Amino acid sequence: MTTENAAVNHDVHAKLLELGARYGEFKGMESYTVSSALINEALRKARAAGFEMLSDIMGIDWLHYPGHTGKRFTVVYNVYRLDDVRRIFLRVEVDEGEKIPTVTGIFRAANFMEREVFDMFGVQFEGHPDLRKLLTPEDLDGHPHRKDFPIGESPTLFNDGRFLDPPTFRAGLVGRDGGLTGWKGGARKGVRSEQGLELVDHGTTGQQGGFAGNEGGGDR
Amino acid sequence: MSVKNAGTSAQTVAVENRGAFETHHMRVNVGPQHPSTHGVLRLVVDLDGERIVAIKPQIGYLHTGFEKTMENRTYQQCVTYSNRMDYLHGFGHDLAYVLAVEKLMDAQVPERAQRIRVILTELNRIASHLLFFGTGLLDIGALTPYFYTNREREKILEIFEMVSGVRMNYGYFRVGGLYRDVPDEFEAAVREFLEYFPPMIKQYDAAFMGNKIFVDRTKGVGVLTREQAIDYGLTGPSLRASGVPLDFRKAQPYSGYEEYEFDVPTSPDGDTYSRFMMRYYELTESLRIIEQALDKLKPGPVKDPDRRISLPPRSELETSMEAVIFHFKLVTEGFHPPLGEVYVPTESARGELGYYIVSDGGSMPYRVKVRVPSLINLQSLEPSCIGGLFADMVANIASLDPVMGDVDK
Repeated sequence: MTTENAAVNHDVHAKLLELGARYGEFKGMESYTVSSALINEALRKARAAGFEMLSDIMGIDWLHYPGHTGKRFTVVYNVYRLDDVRRIFLRVEVDEGEKIPTVTGIFRAANFMEREVFDMFGVQFEGHPDLRKLLTPEDLDGHPHRKDFPIGESPTLFNDGRFLDPPTFRAGLVGRDGGLTGWKGGARKGVRSEQGLELVDHGTTGQQGGFAGNEGGGDR
Repeated sequence: MSVKNAGTSAQTVAVENRGAFETHHMRVNVGPQHPSTHGVLRLVVDLDGERIVAIKPQIGYLHTGFEKTMENRTYQQCVTYSNRMDYLHGFGHDLAYVLAVEKLMDAQVPERAQRIRVILTELNRIASHLLFFGTGLLDIGALTPYFYTNREREKILEIFEMVSGVRMNYGYFRVGGLYRDVPDEFEAAVREFLEYFPPMIKQYDAAFMGNKIFVDRTKGVGVLTREQAIDYGLTGPSLRASGVPLDFRKAQPYSGYEEYEFDVPTSPDGDTYSRFMMRYYELTESLRIIEQALDKLKPGPVKDPDRRISLPPRSELETSMEAVIFHFKLVTEGFHPPLGEVYVPTESARGELGYYIVSDGGSMPYRVKVRVPSLINLQSLEPSCIGGLFADMVANIASLDPVMGDVDK
């Protein structure tokens, strides 16, 4: 049973690579990046190999991601097989204004999912039968899940006119910053933890902060 | 009345050979404030007489932007938001969220914490199904079962209150374990419920299978074939009612579900009746899991001892400077998972539920995408309702068990 499934999966692996897909693996999650023009063909091939359940379509906006250079958006298609629940993620990279062909012709379930990605990121799906907003009100301008969409908080006020500005406060918590203190977890160098944790050399745990994406240290 | 496939709009459709008569499709707006829609679901339905020719769900009335909010909170703070989506199966959402982050962090969750998580999630599944029966039968016109199912649900909520302090929006799970250990009375209370509940399930027989009105109104109604169910992305008990034995607790076990013996009920019929009955059979299966988990429950820690993730115990703060530092860091900043993307599918009371988390190395998730079952299940209203009677639509909605918080996020 397992070898047979592995063979089928191998089959889809080869077929997707034939299409020029880029293979990636992280913690057991297999992903294939294909060009947007080929997404229909790639999903058809996956479906023919038994990946008949489209679980989800989601968008990612890389605008503020540390060290990201490629196109701004990635749309991820999450498909799996029903017999051995093997799951693969097909990824399509698009820039602002580029269109992706719809996959509603292959999976009916894609209808709401593509509408949600359109609503949240403004990614257009060409040929979608009913590409309207899904969750946000008709009169809302913009696409809320884009990283440059403001969340509209108000500062927290204290006595004596002091206030806490949420974006400034949070700036130290995102990946492009070194954190408020540059700490990345783990024990300090030279201190043996009671838990017998592995000691990780964080290099200069200094105040400079720095660009988290470029560190490539042992804790990554 | 022969205007089949005449389109979905309510515009005038002239019919041949009818002389002066014209037949229109009537467009009916159901909701968003309608007792049968379990929240703020609005449906635009086109009718040809009593038959439905088109149905379009209009959703988003409860859109709260949980995903965006979670992207601006630290990982531990996000536990507050996850359970507010599906407020009827909050532990299921909490579990899905913490599992995703734990996978990202490679956290080791102690055995006791995993068992308690399973017990609470399964109890919550029972509570969710009980409310489903109550309101579902209420929609069809059976008022009485609501009082019976809520009587049992109350007992479960009391256990939750004892454990987490609240009856809803628990926020009790933490990345790496639990907020704290369960109180001493917990085990006895669950055992008491285990003894109390099976006779009650017997009582429901009369309300479900023994209720002729219920059976007549649901059997053979709103049939979804296996192919349709898969094509429309249906998951959970509703998919199993169409003959697909997919249950992530079985297929891809998490939190130690592989250690428990339980069956996955399926039915080949795919009608509203079997969608109701799948959940009915699941009550017994959940009880079996809870009983086994209780038997295997041993004393022990309930948090990952890894100081990167869990707060040090209070007693250590007085003696260890190191502990104070960890405490300060975790409270002010939280932990920083490595770069990467994870997705862990789980089985919620409504279907496949998973959090797709993208980490940028900061202490807040860069992107959180929740694969919510209710939203995607809702699409299958189209194949199950079109061609059927308007009155059956209500039973169909009920059988999908959508929670609008889960739909709109």
